[in-house]
Amino acid sequence: MKNRLISTLRISLLLLLMPISALAQTEKDSVVVSSDVAKDSIRITNRYGLRLGGDLSKLARTLLEEGYSGFEIMGDYRLTRRLYIAGELGTEEKTTVTNNLNSTASGSYFKAGIDYNTYDNWFGMENAIYAGLRLGASTFKQTINSFTIYNTDQYWGEQFSLTTPIEFSGLTALWTEFIVGIKAEVLPNLYVGINGQLKILVSDDAPSNFENVYIPGYNKTFDSGRFGVGYGYNIAYLIPLYKKEK
Amino acid sequence: MNKYPFLFLFIGMVLLFGCERDDICAENTPTTPNAIITFYDVANQGTLKSVAGLRVLGEGQSSPVPTVNVVTTDSIAIPLRTNMSETTFIFHQNYSVDDNGTPDDDSDDIIGGNPDTITISYDPEEIYVSRACGFKTIFRNFSITLLDDGDNWIQTFANVTDNLTIENEEQAHINTTH
Repeated sequence: MKNRLISTLRISLLLLLMPISALAQTEKDSVVVSSDVAKDSIRITNRYGLRLGGDLSKLARTLLEEGYSGFEIMGDYRLTRRLYIAGELGTEEKTTVTNNLNSTASGSYFKAGIDYNTYDNWFGMENAIYAGLRLGASTFKQTINSFTIYNTDQYWGEQFSLTTPIEFSGLTALWTEFIVGIKAEVLPNLYVGINGQLKILVSDDAPSNFENVYIPGYNKTFDSGRFGVGYGYNIAYLIPLYKKEK
Repeated sequence: MNKYPFLFLFIGMVLLFGCERDDICAENTPTTPNAIITFYDVANQGTLKSVAGLRVLGEGQSSPVPTVNVVTTDSIAIPLRTNMSETTFIFHQNYSVDDNGTPDDDSDDIIGGNPDTITISYDPEEIYVSRACGFKTIFRNFSITLLDDGDNWIQTFANVTDNLTIENEEQAHINTTH
């Protein structure tokens, strides 16, 4: 029992990275519940099923961050003790403002791949520290809302400014993604998780005389190359379909 | 947590990329170019000849182009207007001011030297540079006209190359003789 608590604490410590301390109390309850279940069962079994959820960070950013709105649903299906197939589906709209340029990217994306749980759970627990791979695709449009010509020589003062927005629609992008994250069962069948994503852009349609400053799902592009980053903060519910011996 | 070194490696990489600063336009980025004008000797073609006391004033401006405020030089770089298709300058040779003994009163000043009015016409085109620098202007199909005031010190103008676009500041765009 003590060991089990320590194991749960290790997961909980990681979860403290997330602003969800309110759930910490209920997490203790879930340990009791699962240990009760464990006492009754003689053989070690794992639950298999479909886990469905959404990204809370995108909802929070939609409310709090100016120029951003996003929504993502995610799901995974357990194949073996450690392996899951997993995917995300979402939409994003993001306005990027620099000193000299204001542009908006909006569109939807789809990511599919696998998650591999590297964590050796204590008896009766189903938490995860996992690594995953995804292939991501996005269809989107980009709009240059406004810009003012950059000129280091300000002798004439006023520079040319764009007054009519320019829109590039029907753009697509493809990328691969490496994910590392944790998931913890905080209530029976209810999981919260946090993950980080490292993305490598495979291909994208570059608008003429412009570039993709932001790609929905891929996030901000960088001038230095084809790498991108992202994170997710998920809440998901497991629909248990069957149990299987370990 | 030493079972999971990859986790920390991964977080490190995410931070590395996430903290890259590319939202500030680097100073050495080539952006909107100035027009570069060189002055040659009309009597001895192909030889640079400095203009004495040159002062270049943009039409309608109250102060001259800062780098060309009564200088003796054989080449100047002057800014073009990005929100217009032409820019007019007054090229003033041997510029001098006699303040008539009243340094604080500009109205009775006697301006010496020979002003010539030139107009540079072009098709401005906006070119994307980067997210930090935004767009720059290049000037296509430029041509120069000299207003005949009966006493021009400038003799001829010529585009340096047939490629009539002011795209960068690596070479002269306009050759002048005087």
